[in-house]
Amino acid sequence: MRYVLRRLGFFVLTLWAALTLNFFIPRFMPGSPLQALRDRTHNRLSPAALEQMLTSYGFKPDENLFVQYLDYLRNMVTGRWGISIGATLGEPVTKVVGQALPWTLGLVGITTVLAFALGSLIGVVAGWRRGGRLDSLLPPVFVVTSALPYFWVGLLLILTFSVWTGGLLPSDFNYDSGLQPSLTPGFAANVLAHAVLPAATILITSIGGWILTMRNNMITTLAEDYVRMGRAKGLSNRRIMTTYAARNAMLPNLSGFAMSLGFVISGAILVEYVFNYPGLGYLLYNAVQNTDYPLMQALFMLFTVAVLVSVLVCDFATAWLDPRARAKG
Amino acid sequence: MRRTMIAAAVAVSASLLAAGCSGSTTTTTTDNGTGSGTKEAGSTDKASHQQGGSLTIANVQGQTWTCQFNPFNPAVNSVALGFVYEPLVYVNLLQDQKETPMLASSYQWAADKKSIVFTVRSGVKWSDGQPFTAEDVAYTFDVMKRVPSTDLYSLWTGAGLKSVTAAGDKVTLTFGQAAGPYFFNFANQVGIVPKHVFSTGPAAEHPDTWADPKPVGTGPYTVDPCSANNIQYVANPGYWQPGKPYLSKLQYPAYLDNGPANLDLAGGKAQWGSQFIPNIAALYLNKSKENHTWSPPVTNVGIVPNLDPSRPATSKLAVRQAIALAIDRQRIALIGEGGQQPAANQTGIVVPTFQKYYDRAAVAAAGYDKPNPDKAKGLLAGLGYTEANPLKLTIITITGYTDWDASLAVVKQQLKPVGIDLTVSDLAQQTFDDRLYNGDFDLAYYGQAGGPTPYYELRQMLYSKNSAPIGKPASFNYGRYLDPEVDALFDQYPAADDAGQVDIVKKVGAAMLRDIPIIPTTESVNWFQYNTADIAGWPTESDPYAQPAAFNVPDVEQLLLHLYSKSAQK
Repeated sequence: MRYVLRRLGFFVLTLWAALTLNFFIPRFMPGSPLQALRDRTHNRLSPAALEQMLTSYGFKPDENLFVQYLDYLRNMVTGRWGISIGATLGEPVTKVVGQALPWTLGLVGITTVLAFALGSLIGVVAGWRRGGRLDSLLPPVFVVTSALPYFWVGLLLILTFSVWTGGLLPSDFNYDSGLQPSLTPGFAANVLAHAVLPAATILITSIGGWILTMRNNMITTLAEDYVRMGRAKGLSNRRIMTTYAARNAMLPNLSGFAMSLGFVISGAILVEYVFNYPGLGYLLYNAVQNTDYPLMQALFMLFTVAVLVSVLVCDFATAWLDPRARAKG
Repeated sequence: MRRTMIAAAVAVSASLLAAGCSGSTTTTTTDNGTGSGTKEAGSTDKASHQQGGSLTIANVQGQTWTCQFNPFNPAVNSVALGFVYEPLVYVNLLQDQKETPMLASSYQWAADKKSIVFTVRSGVKWSDGQPFTAEDVAYTFDVMKRVPSTDLYSLWTGAGLKSVTAAGDKVTLTFGQAAGPYFFNFANQVGIVPKHVFSTGPAAEHPDTWADPKPVGTGPYTVDPCSANNIQYVANPGYWQPGKPYLSKLQYPAYLDNGPANLDLAGGKAQWGSQFIPNIAALYLNKSKENHTWSPPVTNVGIVPNLDPSRPATSKLAVRQAIALAIDRQRIALIGEGGQQPAANQTGIVVPTFQKYYDRAAVAAAGYDKPNPDKAKGLLAGLGYTEANPLKLTIITITGYTDWDASLAVVKQQLKPVGIDLTVSDLAQQTFDDRLYNGDFDLAYYGQAGGPTPYYELRQMLYSKNSAPIGKPASFNYGRYLDPEVDALFDQYPAADDAGQVDIVKKVGAAMLRDIPIIPTTESVNWFQYNTADIAGWPTESDPYAQPAAFNVPDVEQLLLHLYSKSAQK
């Protein structure tokens, strides 16, 4: 119990520190929402009118920073995230985030799970048949692909599967722009078709890490006495591989997986840009570009909370699985 | 990456036209809305095509749509104005300010240009069926008075608008000074909103922040439906020009970046492009014989020298002359901009767009018609600088504007042999702005917005009231050029007649040659690509009936009234 409380205390403290940084750092950066708006409107509109426009949307350039800070903390907690004063001027932040969140969760979330599952599976098999054909082919290949830049892989896929094949797979957007979102098989198929290339990009570049760590864990585990014991008992290879070796080799990878789930929400900025995929990553990029304080704050808070929660869950899971962690913690 | 939009911004900061307009009189009157009396192509033509077909616009916005259409919100008015809302008169800057009457069927200036009476068009209906009246026009301008944040062109504060009154089918705008140059703003750029919608509920309380999700306008299209990914416009069946618009549907997807938009354009998925396509011959034109491009120049991009005496090098005329003589603008345009922007000239008057203001002979006489590195070398040698002992200068530019970087690489190369060692400093946009506005630079690479005549751009850059002391943000005159004679020319412009205005602009051009306050390098263009497989009626070099890029408001409406689907004609 004391362990849980201490973890929770740590969670709150970290969250507060992160929120505070999120508030002050953007305000100490050069530029202001007004300047960004003047740039976007090509400096052709009256600066006075633009400043009043931003003020009507809740921008308070002249208010005491500390008062703003307290307001900000209160608003973050109560969910009153304000109105965007950047590229999506006038749109409530909750709506902007709400529109982008499902797409990022869907695309990046599913590919992260897939990459972990596939990567671990390949790693297990490769480690089991160490030096075999699979082991000498897949891990090196995927180690190379995971070092490739996201956007480069994306562009290559677009070129191969969209441009050269006359639009076999769509290369942009999350669904055809002429369609209206609906719960029909046709629309779902369209969404899936649009997700293939961006998902493949993320998979290709992220699966290598899982394969490599899983394979190495597997090899270490296979040298353990209880595996030799299992063999001596005459257990089937399959049983030894899955329930004796893989199950134990998986443990270190699980915490890594929990962490990577926390990062799902921050999206994959470059992939979203290359594929014109309207998720949270590009939203953050845009918010920073346009000094959109309300949107930036909400996004940074979401990212912080997501990572902290997954770390917390991971901590609790470890404590539950491993009594040693509890005792030491 | 989205620098293309900057290059094409064409309008004017009205706030800056503010102070100087004198109250002198003029005898010029425009007798009706058609100005010169020539027959207008376009909006008042009879419909000559069948309706049907659809068009996809690729204009990179870098954001998903918010589905707000309030024309007072500067972030969304490019998807509202011209599509749903209409101006009183359309002014085409590509055809010497040729006017097309829209919601005003005609207008009459007072002799002193201090008041103007618009006659509103009869028989126009809002898309909800209510009739459009002079009251709507007056109400639109009243909103701008009541809520200053909606007065985007500073009509009430800068232009000296004193009152707007409606009587019958007439609307009278009264100004405290001659307001000729503001016509472009109040007649052409303000979208007229329906009083019956904007005078009730939340729209009346907060006309600036109200979302206006289902806009009611007089324009050729209505919104149905809008999502974050795409705006679909459908033809307004009750549009006041019978039989128009021809295209029954428009798709306006929200492109986040140039890459996907350019791909869709090359493949014909989108037919109307409005951004820079690098290596356009290979990546667009050669993909299909139906792909075309025509990007007319509208403003300048150039080197802004800091003229403040605290900058010993750039405040010297000889140094600026040397730079202007040493650079080969044709090469900058060819290498830096891939030949997609024409070379500029030292007068800062964009040709061929504003040809009648351009004095070619004066440019030649001053020696700026072609590069002259030898003369530049001589000027710098006179100051003690040579290639071995160069003058060190730094030019600031904006990071991510890759074509500007390429242009500056050419400039650097050309300045080296004459004795200037140029360092190019790439800055983040907002850092760049800070230093530019406050005068913290030797040289800056930059382009301004313009207007329907060269006066607008030149006045922004050169008028002393647009300047500020070093360390204080200048509004537009970032080089800190101060010349009472040039100021006087700008002050005379609003009340001058047409010939007088041309003469004034030519004199300012002469000052550009004399003082080298700005060194234009290339002319920035209105990026435009179009596909003719199914859609016809595009503006072309021989028929430049409107600025062609989709982000120009309200020019976009003129295209929408001309475009038609070939397949729908059978």
